[in-house]
Amino acid sequence: MPKLIIDDISVAVPEGTKVIEAAEQVGIHIPRFCYHPALGSVGACRVCAVKFLQGPFKGVQMSCMIEAADGMVVSTTDPEAVDFRRHVIEWLMINHPHDCPVCDEGGHCLLQDMTVSGGHGMRRYQGKKRTYLDQDLGPLVQHEMNRCIQCYRCSRFYQEYAGYRDLGVMGIASRVYYGRFGPGTLKSPFSGNLIDICPTGVYTDRPSRYKGRRWDYERTPSVCIHCCLGCRITVNVRYREVVRIEARYSPTVNGHFICDRGRYGFFYASSDRRPRKARSGGAETRPKNARDEAAHRLEEITARHGSGSVAVVGGSRSTLETLAAERRICRQLGWQGPSLFTGTEESAAARRAAGHLTTDLAVSLEALKNADLILVAGADPINEAPMAALAIRQAARNGAHIEVIDPRPVTLPLEYVHRPAGTDKISEILRGLGKPSTEDASGDIQDLAARLDQSRRPVVVCGAGKIASERTVEQAARLARNLRRAGKKAGLFFVMTGANTFAACRMAGDPADLETLLLMIEDGKVRALVVVEADPMSEYPDLARLVDALAKLDLMVVLDCIDTETARAAHVFFPTQTFFETGGTLINNEARIQQARPAFAGGTPISQTGGGSHPPRVFRDDIPGTEALSAGQLLMDIVSALSGGISRSVEEFDGVAPEFSGFDPVEATGERGTWAKLPLRTAAGPDSPQMGGETPIKKGELLLVESVYGTEALSRSSPWLQELESEPALTLHPEDASRWGLQHGDRCELSTEAGALTVPVHTSRSTAPGTLVLPRHRRLRWQVFQHFRSGLDTVRIRKTGGEGA
Amino acid sequence: MADEIKPESYEKRLEQEPQENAWDAVRALGQGFWTTFRHLFRRPITEQYPEERRQLPERSRARIVLTRDPDGDERCVACYLCSAVCPVSCISMQSAERSDGRRYAEWFRINFGRCIYCGLCEEACPTSAIQLTPEFDHCRRDILSLVFEKEDLLVDHTGKDKDYNFYRYAGVATRPEEKGTHIKESPPVDVKSNLP
Repeated sequence: MPKLIIDDISVAVPEGTKVIEAAEQVGIHIPRFCYHPALGSVGACRVCAVKFLQGPFKGVQMSCMIEAADGMVVSTTDPEAVDFRRHVIEWLMINHPHDCPVCDEGGHCLLQDMTVSGGHGMRRYQGKKRTYLDQDLGPLVQHEMNRCIQCYRCSRFYQEYAGYRDLGVMGIASRVYYGRFGPGTLKSPFSGNLIDICPTGVYTDRPSRYKGRRWDYERTPSVCIHCCLGCRITVNVRYREVVRIEARYSPTVNGHFICDRGRYGFFYASSDRRPRKARSGGAETRPKNARDEAAHRLEEITARHGSGSVAVVGGSRSTLETLAAERRICRQLGWQGPSLFTGTEESAAARRAAGHLTTDLAVSLEALKNADLILVAGADPINEAPMAALAIRQAARNGAHIEVIDPRPVTLPLEYVHRPAGTDKISEILRGLGKPSTEDASGDIQDLAARLDQSRRPVVVCGAGKIASERTVEQAARLARNLRRAGKKAGLFFVMTGANTFAACRMAGDPADLETLLLMIEDGKVRALVVVEADPMSEYPDLARLVDALAKLDLMVVLDCIDTETARAAHVFFPTQTFFETGGTLINNEARIQQARPAFAGGTPISQTGGGSHPPRVFRDDIPGTEALSAGQLLMDIVSALSGGISRSVEEFDGVAPEFSGFDPVEATGERGTWAKLPLRTAAGPDSPQMGGETPIKKGELLLVESVYGTEALSRSSPWLQELESEPALTLHPEDASRWGLQHGDRCELSTEAGALTVPVHTSRSTAPGTLVLPRHRRLRWQVFQHFRSGLDTVRIRKTGGEGA
Repeated sequence: MADEIKPESYEKRLEQEPQENAWDAVRALGQGFWTTFRHLFRRPITEQYPEERRQLPERSRARIVLTRDPDGDERCVACYLCSAVCPVSCISMQSAERSDGRRYAEWFRINFGRCIYCGLCEEACPTSAIQLTPEFDHCRRDILSLVFEKEDLLVDHTGKDKDYNFYRYAGVATRPEEKGTHIKESPPVDVKSNLP
């Protein structure tokens, strides 16, 4: 531990710490542009100069380039260093344009701050300023190269940290240019981070371009709900509208960055299509009337058919509070559910995953970066949980070996070995690897087994839900446990299906999934459905069957914050508040409990009430569009209008799920940013009984998968992400394609008994033979299959057009 | 110690009060009348305000306007500096991108019911758009009509600053072909050249 003195304060820091970091530990913020904790030092900007008075270095040096050493005496306020930094600022400003008033970075610009604090108020240089031509970088990032101060942060992030090659640095001397070789949309799903890391306004946020200034925004720490990872974000709200999402530093979850789905997926919250009024029988009504009607009809149905004839359907985008309310209502009133999953297999896999996650095995995203071998099984990180891919890349950069076992043509921005294996093969391979002795491993996985044997910190990243089956989850957990028994610091990281899937696993009732519930509806056992923040009609793979079943219902009550097909089909509909308005607790895939506070009170955005022009010139004592309540609250309101009654507190977890009793999310999450973890089992119990083998796929199977944009329930309505969507296509192995006479670029028709859809065909050699991959994309009417993994014997494939045709 | 001294000095002061006699009173009264009498023969200096309106100095601070640049375009770029600096928060606006890429105020509102005419907004304005004018008599009976929208504020002249056009200096171009054409700008760099 080197010990040094910075500005008369003595500090001891770990070996290898840069002086700039050591200063930060004692509360001294040395100015910097190029240095970034996640990207490291390059010494490009020269603004972190300090004076070394004693020790191995002498004189003015860059504090980001020098490691702290014993006996160093550093002064940040030495006149020589201050003068040096003042000059650096002045020459960085020589070519910087005079455009702060029209620059979106103004107000949170590092260069602006440094210029002011460096005392550079008057321009002395009278020469001409250098200019650059800008590029169109797509719908998310605005480029203005004139403002550049050549700190290299963008290219270092984009190429080194994120692993994409299409943005970089070119040119020489004073013509250094950061951009693409030619204008075009950035390929990386992490491109939004350029906006956060650029110390000035070269990259600014395009969707929120010219929307306002940072100082006018209501900024609230929150949690992202667009995948299971629960990255921490800052929500910027102005005039009742979410304007921008920024990454918020989290030492354990997402580090400094977030993905573009999380950054630009929020537009559902202030969409003009968002339902704001309660509806009954298709007509708008007052919330009280709707509530009374729902309660009255529910009462009638329970009186006639018993309490078991009402079921609650929920989803994993609800907060823990809402899920708890659902569970409590079902418990106390004897209703069915809550059914929080779509398919039986999905529910089983997710719940098994949640059961297998023990405190010693669960790893955070940050810990994933420190792994030395990562085995990705039945998961597609970029498409399912993008930040996981970024974490895996950091592990790869640190020398980890990455192996992917998945039927899909997984692409990761790093070097990895892909073993295309059918879904039934994944668990077989994992089982082979999980055997205590590697000699048992069969030939083709021998090398992987050997690598696992040599590894010290292996992590198994496994899907848990629609694609990876319960059996795969079981084998992945077993493998991780065996590795841990072998004395390794092994970890287990499940990629789950939704933001709050982990909580849903604990809160799901009986039946836990919609598929089972459908049977009960078809039998006539369930007569009324209360759907809370879920959209079965666009999530369930067999739409025809679902529609038939829903038609049998006497009553369907839907509570949601977005305009969905299910909401339009409801008998009684209630608008709910979004996560931004309610706040709430989410449990991420590693059982980390994270709580977000409400970002704003809700209401129709001023841009909508003013119709684009100035806000209305009328005084009123309420906020328009605030009829919505949180789903949990609304559910309690409806239920308390029933004559039976129920205690109204939503926050109470006692009796709902034993592990939550006495659990206070506010206390658990704390204010300081140290997030609690859900109490998990400390040690694994005995291995669960061996499950029967999976039904082998003879003719292959069709997988309905997630893609980074266009499949997730909330972000798919974002107009900016819609521009980035690639056309959804059926991907299959070229040899399989030739079975149906298909080629890359052809169009084909997929038909089942329930319907048909036409999609373009993509062939990829990294798809597992016998596997067809189709995204559950919003642009496809894909809901014609029976399951998320359906056997090819139920699907007919016909070529309808091609390049040759 | 202080409270011991206080009553003493107070009494002392009472003792020192000059004893006024009747003569002093008469003299003071006479002086007052004399002043009044003298003014009877001077020219009146009162201005009959609504009938007579004096030209106030150009820089006196009253009603706020939004001016235009010498080319006739709106000067305001909706940078929010005036609303940020306003001590009574009477300015609000929404910035937006115009079809030609220029930043402008979609709406701009000043609540003159709140404005204290301090002139900080004018001082903060980087484009000379917001200016205070000598026109002070714009009170209304209806408080809501004191809320001025952009169309009420926008004037078709340059105001006090006759020549300044922000975009000629800004270094930010709304159209790509404008790059490098502003005052003191070099033409755009050719990044694909490797000449020194």
